[in-house]
Amino acid sequence: MAAKTELALRVSGVSKRFGAVTALENLNFEVKKGGFFVLFGPSSVGKTTTLRAICGLEKVDSGSIEVDGRDATTAAIRDRGVTMVFQSFALYPHMTVAQNFAYPLKEAGVSSKEIKQRVGETVEMLRLSHRLKNKPSTLSGGEQQRVALGRALIRRPKILLLDEPLTNLDAKLRHDMRAELKRLHRQLGMTIVYATPDELEALSMGEDIAVMEHGRVVQQGTPDELYERPKNIYVATKIGSPHMNLLDISASAENNMLNTSFGPLSSMHQSLPTAEPLVLGVRPSDVKIAKIGEPQIPAKVSLIEPMGDLTVVSVQAGNAQLRMVLSEADATGMKTGEALNIAIKPKDVHIFQKSNGVAIPSPA
Amino acid sequence: MKWISRKDRAREVDRAGWGRTAGAAIASFIYFFPVLVIIITAFKKHTDALAVPAKLFPDFMGWLVPERLTFTPTLENFVSVFSRSFTTGGAAQDTGFDLFFFNSIFIAGSSVLLALAIGTLAAFGFSRYPLKGNDTYLFVILTTRMLPAIVVIIPVMLMFRITGLAGTYTGIILLYTAFNLPFTIWMMKSFFDELSPDVEDAARIDGSSDRGVFFKICMPQVVAGLAATAVFGLILTWNEFLFALLLTGVDTRTVPVAMSQTIGGDIGVRWGLLAAIETLFLIPVILVTFFLQNQLLRGVTFGTVKR
Repeated sequence: MAAKTELALRVSGVSKRFGAVTALENLNFEVKKGGFFVLFGPSSVGKTTTLRAICGLEKVDSGSIEVDGRDATTAAIRDRGVTMVFQSFALYPHMTVAQNFAYPLKEAGVSSKEIKQRVGETVEMLRLSHRLKNKPSTLSGGEQQRVALGRALIRRPKILLLDEPLTNLDAKLRHDMRAELKRLHRQLGMTIVYATPDELEALSMGEDIAVMEHGRVVQQGTPDELYERPKNIYVATKIGSPHMNLLDISASAENNMLNTSFGPLSSMHQSLPTAEPLVLGVRPSDVKIAKIGEPQIPAKVSLIEPMGDLTVVSVQAGNAQLRMVLSEADATGMKTGEALNIAIKPKDVHIFQKSNGVAIPSPA
Repeated sequence: MKWISRKDRAREVDRAGWGRTAGAAIASFIYFFPVLVIIITAFKKHTDALAVPAKLFPDFMGWLVPERLTFTPTLENFVSVFSRSFTTGGAAQDTGFDLFFFNSIFIAGSSVLLALAIGTLAAFGFSRYPLKGNDTYLFVILTTRMLPAIVVIIPVMLMFRITGLAGTYTGIILLYTAFNLPFTIWMMKSFFDELSPDVEDAARIDGSSDRGVFFKICMPQVVAGLAATAVFGLILTWNEFLFALLLTGVDTRTVPVAMSQTIGGDIGVRWGLLAAIETLFLIPVILVTFFLQNQLLRGVTFGTVKR
């Protein structure tokens, strides 16, 4: 029972179809009270539909949605205690900033004295006091974003839904707003559900991330869990940049050695299926330049992409192309065509079944 | 949404340069010249109005042009529009134009307001709650305006005779409302289609009912559209002649019909009087357009500016 009261949101078995299109299929996840929860996945996997279902803009076909331990599946939108910031901000274009802030309170029947006070607080918090009399169209993108946030926060919702709120901002602003959102979350301690297709946003902001595919959650976990122990190839390639190297391999019967095109490779995995085709996954950051005494894999540099303090180097080993991330110092003076010995540690090896992409867990 | 402000418009002149501005002025003068002649004629005595070549200049401009091209302005035409000075065979007769102006304003105003009220609701429905076969319904609504008026006048007259609507305010207002509805629905639907549905969803999350969303969120955003639609309908109704001629009675006659009936009589066409009526007839349209000009500009540019 104690565990239940700590939940701000529980989505269980939710399905939603639009005509012939299945938007959500048996969707399940839980959000802790006060948590920063991220729904992550490329566009059209059902993130927006999920948010719209939580706040009540879409009726679900089956399943249930609990807010704060109470069933809200069929509750009226205004009774859910959930507010949302839209990707397009959706400010009221005919109202000033102050009127935009006051609108939800007016609709809730809050007294004009309290409205004034709470608009004041919100404006203070979001540093918008100089813009109160402006219409949204005269504001910058970042200001519009803050107004949208303020309008959602002013009602003090139990859960704040954010639908790709940074997508419409330029890169610099996006960075600032990420920090601002984290600050607000700490300051207000409210539950946030944040949908984004941007892996960097997901990893840097989420305390808990649900990776979505085709209207369901494929894996839910902390950023570290998703990064270290992806449940399948989909999660493995969506989380982490540059993407994980994937190679077709098979396991040999003796010593659990892996047969790769660049020779045998050892892993921590035990009793791997030998009959089945497998996929080897290695993070580019886990492909290292071999030190003396380590098992070495001969390779040849095929492409060098400097990215500032890091350099992504593609190497050819056997038939396989591998990307590796090197520090700028390690990559200095490297040339394409140069021979190089690389090493992959057994603990950094991920193995997936080729047939369905599911990870074979390693004991480590 | 950004609209062209007054300052921007001044800048437009700068950008166009004096040559193009002068060109535009000349073109406007040519288009406006017939209207100008009517307004000038309204201030002429009967004999001056008939003079050839036309006397185009009031006498206080006599130092500028030859005397035979000037006339002495008079207000007698305007006085006779409203007073009992319209004589037939020596007997004073009430021109009754105060009533006809009231009729025109009342009938055009009521039918446009009614069409706006009904049409806006219908347009919102078509835009936000589409039915199966939505486009077909919209097309059917449009087909009511596809036949020339003259084709439907006989059945309409019969209907009016049977129902007793002929010659009544109710009848002509209902008829004009029916005329105004199709384009009101089409125009307002296009304005509602332009609005972002996210904004309405945001209002629902903020606790608004469907009614609240319509009145507090959608309507204020389409004020420009309402103004444009209203002016369009007003001009159409204000100028309508054929149905007014056949379906209004002595008491419900509108200005265009009454105006046509001043033509004729023993002294021929009283051009001065006719011009005075026309001048007065222009004023409401000019006033409405003037007061709504900013809204109209937004109305016609709606959707052409990226938001």
